Amino acid sequence: MLDQILCIDDDPITLMLCKKVIIRSSFSNEIITSQNGEEALNFFNTIKYTNNKNKPITQPQLIFLDLNMPVMGGWEFLDYFNSTEFEEFNTIKVVVLTSTIDPEDLEKSKKYPMVIDFLSKPISQSMLEYLKDKLK
Amino acid sequence: MKSKTNQVIIIYILIAMFVAIVSHKLVQQYVSDENIHFYTFIKDILFVLFTGIIFKLILSKNDDRNVAIFEKLKNTNDEIKESNEKYDIVAKATSDTIWDWKIQEDSFSWNKGIESVFGYKEEEVDDNSNWWFDKIHPEDSIKMSIRLYSFIEQKTENWQDQYRFRCADNSYKYVLDKGFLLKDATGKAVRMIGAIQDITKQKEEEQRLKLLETVITQSKDSIIITEADSSDAKIPNIIYVNPAFSIMSGYEAVEIIGKSPDLFNSPNSDSNELKKLLTAIKNKEECLIETISYTKNKEEYYVRLSMIPIYNLDNELSHWISIQRDITDEKKQEREKEQLIRELTQNNKDLKQFSYITSHNLRAPLSNLIGLLNLLEDIPIENQELKEILSGFNKSTHLLNDTINDLVKVIVIKDNPSIKKEAVLIKEIFENIFSQLSFQIELHKPIIKFDFEKVFIININKAYIESILLNLLTNAIKYKSENRKLKITITTHEIDDTVVLVFKDNGIGIDLVRNRDKVFGLYQRFHNYPDSKGLGLYLVKSQVETMGGTIEIESEVNKGTTFTLTFKNRQ
Repeated sequence: MLDQILCIDDDPITLMLCKKVIIRSSFSNEIITSQNGEEALNFFNTIKYTNNKNKPITQPQLIFLDLNMPVMGGWEFLDYFNSTEFEEFNTIKVVVLTSTIDPEDLEKSKKYPMVIDFLSKPISQSMLEYLKDKLK
Repeated sequence: MKSKTNQVIIIYILIAMFVAIVSHKLVQQYVSDENIHFYTFIKDILFVLFTGIIFKLILSKNDDRNVAIFEKLKNTNDEIKESNEKYDIVAKATSDTIWDWKIQEDSFSWNKGIESVFGYKEEEVDDNSNWWFDKIHPEDSIKMSIRLYSFIEQKTENWQDQYRFRCADNSYKYVLDKGFLLKDATGKAVRMIGAIQDITKQKEEEQRLKLLETVITQSKDSIIITEADSSDAKIPNIIYVNPAFSIMSGYEAVEIIGKSPDLFNSPNSDSNELKKLLTAIKNKEECLIETISYTKNKEEYYVRLSMIPIYNLDNELSHWISIQRDITDEKKQEREKEQLIRELTQNNKDLKQFSYITSHNLRAPLSNLIGLLNLLEDIPIENQELKEILSGFNKSTHLLNDTINDLVKVIVIKDNPSIKKEAVLIKEIFENIFSQLSFQIELHKPIIKFDFEKVFIININKAYIESILLNLLTNAIKYKSENRKLKITITTHEIDDTVVLVFKDNGIGIDLVRNRDKVFGLYQRFHNYPDSKGLGLYLVKSQVETMGGTIEIESEVNKGTTFTLTFKNRQ
């Protein structure tokens, strides 16, 4: 079981669904959510700058990322997240979870080293079983 | 000669008589009888000598005269002979046919040309002028005879005429006839001599050239002929322009001949194209360019121009010909077409994007619904009515999901014209499909017969062929006849370098008489089955065609359906 995962999606129902399915399949202890890329980056910045004071804060081990979001979409988030600014988080793996069907999106996602999979919504227990295997 | 001889004899007789009489008188007067014999003898001797001398004088004088006459005659004879020879040679050399017409007697004679040129044998030729007139083409004879008689009546100076003359084989030859008159002392025309020249070849050549010339004069394309030499890398001087050029450029022939056509150098001309033209001229090579040119009135037009070097028999460049066409309209249409294609491409791109966004926006909430329904499965529900409602909700949601997934497949296929192909074992494909359909196969237990002996490997996109065969198999099961056990036969064979896959069932069939053109259409349904969306065969056809294949259907209601799929087996 993972300790913490981050779900980034603008749709509250999707987030609710994520939480419920993840809890049911005991995929992770803790589930953090962000409504868009910017919120997620802020979250990581907080970790980054509070890190030194106390003992290390737990980092999410996996990110579920939607692509189409207002304010900051998935691609922009990945661009920032892939930059040197967030170097210390580059071991965190990302799963793109989307309802897009554009084949170009799949190709594009392969350019980011941290993206380990490109999955179609909705999140399901079998999907999580599959990811568990993959992350072993 | 004879009169001269008589004259000489008479003179001699007269002189001899005179001498005889004078000597007789002298003998009578001066000579005695005893001396008579002696004197007679002397007289005879003197007589003979005297007459002999006179004879000698007369004859030698005559002789001289005769020699002179003979010389003169001989010279005349030589001249005549030479003249005859010359005539023969000339007649032969010109191959002219000579005729001689004594006008008053209407006696007409021909030389050998009448046979060698026109084919008439000697016995076929009459010796009067009617025979001649008779052979002249009816269309030419009136004009010709008017001119001829006005010449004979000496109203005109010269006579020469062209007409068609009928040959022995009834064909006509074009001839040029030239003649002159011989007049008597009173100046009256008595004889006419003429020479006929066969000009059929020249006439035919002339007509052929006239015909060829019409190509240039009547052509809608401009044609220019220029000199061979060009100086200072310019277009050589023009020696001819056809009327179409004047219409196109506005320049009359007289304005432009002798000048270098600098027409193709306007401010908006394509300088690269002009360079190409000048280089070709320098290298004496053919070339084709398109550029903007100016008319005389400074109006722009787009011209397609070819420049072709022409070589003479000695293989030297003799001149250039240039053919030009005003392609302004063509260019305009081309530009409009390009614009249209750009717009269409953009529209297409926009539509594609629109379909992706739409599908995304449809799929996002739908996936939530599916996810939520999945969660419901594990929660026990006591209320029976709620259970029924949720079950209906579940079914509808999944049907909507299937529909959208199918549509999405169509969009992706349409957007992906070139796809990866690989060698695939046909048996393997079916194994995959059967595992996906194991539930239905277990339920209906169809008899499925394979024959992949002839072709067992196919060069194809694996995902597509799986989807195609899955669709066909699902259809076969879905539309099986209730009265008999479902039987499916799948075979492959090869025709040239194409692989043919035949998929045959004994199901309820489709009424092709009514529906042939709709079978593979989008949202076409032929049976009122609840889970039929009218997408399967559309998808199948799209996938087959994306891989460069074809699909055909044969079907009979209540007997069964046969699909024939054809794929190119080479890359």
